[in-house]
Amino acid sequence: MTWWPERHHWRGRAVTAVAALAAAGLAAAGCGSSGGGSASKQVSASAKQTIVFASQGLGGEGTASKAAVAAFEKANPNIKVNILNLSPVSDVALQQLQQRFISGASTPDVVTTDVVWPATFARPGWIQNLAKFHPDTSAFYPAQMQSGTYKGQVYAIPWFINAEGLYYRKDLVKTPPTTVQQLVSDAKSAMSRDPKLKEGFAFEGDKYEGAVTAMQSFGGQVGLSNLNNINTPANQAALKFMADAIHTYKIAPSAVSTWEEAQVQAAWLGGQTPFALNWPYIFALSEANGSAVKGKTGWVPFPNASGSAAQASLGGDDLAINAKSTHQAAAWKFIQYLTSTQAQVARAIAAGDPPSVKSAYTSELLSKAPYFKDEQKVFAVATPRAVSPVYTQVSSQLQTMISSVLSGQQSAQAALSATAPTVKQLQGTASGG
Amino acid sequence: MLARDRRFGYALVAAAVIVLLVITAYPLFYNAWNSLRHDVVTSGIPATWAGLSNYKEIFTDNLFVPSLVRTIGFTVVSVAVETVIGLGLAVALNRAFPGRGLVRAAVFIPWAVPTVVSAQLWKNMFDPQNGFVNYILTELHLPLAHTTWLGQTWTAWGAILVADAWRNTPFIAIVLLAGLQVIPGDIYEAARIDGASAWQAFRRLTLPLLKPALMVAMIFRTLQSFLIFDVVYNMTAGGPGTSTSVLSYLNYQAFFVNFDYGYGGAISIALVVVALLIAAVYTRVFRVEQVL
Repeated sequence: MTWWPERHHWRGRAVTAVAALAAAGLAAAGCGSSGGGSASKQVSASAKQTIVFASQGLGGEGTASKAAVAAFEKANPNIKVNILNLSPVSDVALQQLQQRFISGASTPDVVTTDVVWPATFARPGWIQNLAKFHPDTSAFYPAQMQSGTYKGQVYAIPWFINAEGLYYRKDLVKTPPTTVQQLVSDAKSAMSRDPKLKEGFAFEGDKYEGAVTAMQSFGGQVGLSNLNNINTPANQAALKFMADAIHTYKIAPSAVSTWEEAQVQAAWLGGQTPFALNWPYIFALSEANGSAVKGKTGWVPFPNASGSAAQASLGGDDLAINAKSTHQAAAWKFIQYLTSTQAQVARAIAAGDPPSVKSAYTSELLSKAPYFKDEQKVFAVATPRAVSPVYTQVSSQLQTMISSVLSGQQSAQAALSATAPTVKQLQGTASGG
Repeated sequence: MLARDRRFGYALVAAAVIVLLVITAYPLFYNAWNSLRHDVVTSGIPATWAGLSNYKEIFTDNLFVPSLVRTIGFTVVSVAVETVIGLGLAVALNRAFPGRGLVRAAVFIPWAVPTVVSAQLWKNMFDPQNGFVNYILTELHLPLAHTTWLGQTWTAWGAILVADAWRNTPFIAIVLLAGLQVIPGDIYEAARIDGASAWQAFRRLTLPLLKPALMVAMIFRTLQSFLIFDVVYNMTAGGPGTSTSVLSYLNYQAFFVNFDYGYGGAISIALVVVALLIAAVYTRVFRVEQVL
């Protein structure tokens, strides 16, 4: 204390310093959220340059991306592509991209975006309206093309498609079920006949995005037009079936309420379930040498719980260009390469990623990987989740709702009627923007 | 001479003061400012002045208050459990026995494991089909062997408590062990000569002399426990439903899912206020002890 004879003097200065710093911080914050102008100085596609490509992907997918980059660089010696690895966890990758966009960074130039993100990125002006490049939208599956379209404008180009469908054991189930009642009875009879089976049906019910896609694959309606009222008979039927599969029919273990795709995959590949809900990547693993279900795997759209026509939750990745990028021409060139038939077939064979380009299902691809023939049937009924800038927030509400129903805290109907107003209100804030 | 000394003094503390301002004052003021605005950064809508409406929202929207209650409940239970076990460990490790160094190291290892890793580990351990917990319960023919631990409210809390205690009890043990080691041995000798039992010695000598260390350990653990995030994020994501949604998780959702900086800022400021209250209560208790 004796150190400062004039303590008040020091205090006064400190207060001034804090105030100045705080003011500076506030000013910076003000600038940060308002955002700057658009990328003005564009580099021509023929100039020597380096672009940054942000992408998820481990293992086979990562290797396939590197191979695609190498092939692109060989064809375009003036453009070098650096890969920025995003987290393999979808929610984390989304946050990584959002934080870069919020900071106004001009890289990455090309971003991989899950099919449910483009609207979120397009509304604040983070990704480039691609109209100036005149993309050929007819080349892709319409459902996925829709995922990259916001307010009638194309912001993202489909890279590879994904859809969730029902895997069934051909040796245990004669014909794939077309109703959920049939699925339940098939599962029960398979369980009574084969003691090696631990359950009749596996799906992902943990509190995360997967629960939403599962509900949609069961016939739930989470499209843009449904957000005004999600408390529909179709959603009640789908959500009720999720809970009933566990608690009433007891074909799914209660553990599925904490399972994600990885656990479902383990159950399926381990041969412990006759039915499993999952994405196409499992097909290649099922048919691999040493798999317990090799040659016994079939894949169909999940029967709709409400009795309507079957639908499959659309997944997959799109490609978009950072609006602040100064290398947009080169970025577009790279996107065109990644969506060329040749690059799509190469990726499908190497990493099992189903092509987003319809013409890429060539005889070459189908002969090397025959299961893509089955997959096309599921992709044909692929249904997008809401292409909404507030989808993440809506989904967070749906995840909590599904989790509460699967754990038996409330009925499907009560949960839907409690969540519907919140979802409607969220969507209202989006249409206002 | 005095002036020069003073200037030198300012120079010496300047670095520390600047660091404190940047990492403490700036975020605090930034959040206070945020909390007074409507600012959803992903909306593309410019931020507007909100007054106190974000605070009004957190106290009326049926998310914040239940989370606060859950967080306080968890804090009380976890700190109590961890302190009792930690104290037991510290007393045991303070005794001389062969291989003590090795045992001490083994006890402290969990604390060296990053929380994210330990939380993920425990999530796998509590997996109903492939997890170690149900395996061992089955092998020992104990009840609850078929529990979906993270699928029900109370079992999920139990799992979170176990994961949290496994990671953090060693911290309490370390601090208390240090406290035990500065207690001179001769007072126990004197107590024994006076005919005190072991329990009496523990009750009348060890505990009072350990109080400063106990306070430090408890203040740290209470604040950390109140701000618990990693375990919940990794193990339950606040589920089932919102049963394990604690304040920090709610705050994370506000900032990183909804990008609602106003609402998130209000939660942050509320967290700071409660944390200050906790610190104030502890300091008060601590002071009273010193006077006595």
